[in-house]
Amino acid sequence: MEKGGRDGIPISIEELNKLKEVADRARKNVIRMQFYDQSIHVGSSLSSIEILTALELKILRDSNDPVNKDWLILSKGHAAPALYAVLHEKGLIKEEELWKIQDISGLLQGHPETFIPGVDMSTGSLGQGLSFGIGVATGIKMTKGTGRVFVIMGDGEQDEGEVWEAMTHAVARNLDNLVAIIEMNGFQLDESTKNVKPKEFLPEVWRAVGWRVFNCDGHDIASVISTVGEALKTGKPAVIFAETKRGKGFTPIENTKRQRTVPDVARQFLLNS
Amino acid sequence: MLQGSFSSIREAFGKTLVKLGEKDNDIVVITADVGDSSRASYFKEKFPDRYFNIGISEQDMVNFGAGLSAVGKKPVVVGFAMFLMRAWEQMRNSIGRMNLNVKVFVTHSGYSDSGDGSSHQALEDVALMRVIPNFKVIIPADAAEVERSMPVVLEDRGPLYYRMGRDYSPPITSTMDYKFEIGKAYVLREGDDISLMGAGVVLWDALKAAEELEKMGISAAVINLPTIKPIDQSTIEYYARKTGRIVTVEEHNVMGGVGSAIAETVVKTYPVPMRFVGATTYGRSARSQRELLDYYGITPKTIVNSALELIK
Repeated sequence: MEKGGRDGIPISIEELNKLKEVADRARKNVIRMQFYDQSIHVGSSLSSIEILTALELKILRDSNDPVNKDWLILSKGHAAPALYAVLHEKGLIKEEELWKIQDISGLLQGHPETFIPGVDMSTGSLGQGLSFGIGVATGIKMTKGTGRVFVIMGDGEQDEGEVWEAMTHAVARNLDNLVAIIEMNGFQLDESTKNVKPKEFLPEVWRAVGWRVFNCDGHDIASVISTVGEALKTGKPAVIFAETKRGKGFTPIENTKRQRTVPDVARQFLLNS
Repeated sequence: MLQGSFSSIREAFGKTLVKLGEKDNDIVVITADVGDSSRASYFKEKFPDRYFNIGISEQDMVNFGAGLSAVGKKPVVVGFAMFLMRAWEQMRNSIGRMNLNVKVFVTHSGYSDSGDGSSHQALEDVALMRVIPNFKVIIPADAAEVERSMPVVLEDRGPLYYRMGRDYSPPITSTMDYKFEIGKAYVLREGDDISLMGAGVVLWDALKAAEELEKMGISAAVINLPTIKPIDQSTIEYYARKTGRIVTVEEHNVMGGVGSAIAETVVKTYPVPMRFVGATTYGRSARSQRELLDYYGITPKTIVNSALELIK
């Protein structure tokens, strides 16, 4: 595995600090969302905060032209609260909508839907985002567009057979405008990933299939940005294994399979932080 | 009626696809390693840059098509009916849910893959596909209707499932002259005493049955419903009122398929007694599709007997 270099995408200390503040606010808003809805996947969302912040607020190039914009596909759709919190920071989703997540009168669904501003693919069923991303990336190349495609997956999601179909397909297409990011937070729905099926072999498998394989600290925005920068320069499909923690930054559930706490614990946590 | 020559459904598909590809540069063809079997590969010969054999991976194929449509391409996803069903959830959750302009063209439906046996014979796909919101479902009657309908289908916007067999294509519409419209039923034969309604190659059996019934003094209308969804409610209601009895025929399980779709309309508009001719279980191997239709009782004789049950 290659370590992301420092010469990918330029960023100043001030900008980096601003992104960290964005990520902090997004993290708190995700924790706050469970005051309003007790079934959202807080733990899985907090694993994704820095990756989404780096992509949405630094890396993605937006455009109304589908082939000249960058696409972000949240294949691990259950981290939707994190996406919504970051899209709120981007000005695409109003704050009051965040508190109406999963409410029948609200806009924000339990999993991403394309009718929500800033959502590029309706997801929720695992294993499907990479295939869609390959279609988008291929269409972009056929039209000589400049768009790039980022697909965020979970480690548990790697159990899905369609990931294998897509992983081998991307190499056959030789797509250099496609970056997959796999969050290695070590947990899937029922238990820790190592109790379910081993995952350590994954980077080796992706490399053997023909991907350029990187790793990064998925909670270090600078590491995410520089590694994505490197990944975009390989001329091949690239995958980044991002080390993350389920529930990162929310100590009552951090690094456990627990997705949430009772609202009072969350309230107390936010008061003390 | 029943004039004209037999020709192949998939040949008509492959050749028409090339013609349409000449007119529309956005059409891209994707297949999961069944390009030759489906005749989609004719497109590859002409437009290699717009043809993707992505390997034996139907789930990936569906979402790959979804992604291509998201950036403005018009993907034609081609596979065997049976094996597209393993990507049913992808069709439901990506193409349907995002209402994307992906056309799913399947061959080898029904008993058409006679030799390969029950693993390859899709007799449940119409039920599965018509239940997905946003999806339209088309079953052409014969090779002529493939040629006639494909330009219209590819002009239409949105998800669509287009169900074909393989070669067996008795002449049903080949001598007719009509403009194909999605959502419209076509009268193959007028009649007053009973209506025989259905879709696909088994309409030939319905036409044969109507000839037999005529010999008995029974006047049977035969209605071709190439669009299963959205279904032509007014034509169904008209013939329910006119003839008072309906026999449906399909190369598909009688649960949830063409007959069920017709029945849903009939009970809403003008309930009349009905009988359903179609499959009830898995198929098996045989040397021809016709043998299997006969073996499982999707025949003129069964249709005649069902009609007589309603008439006596």
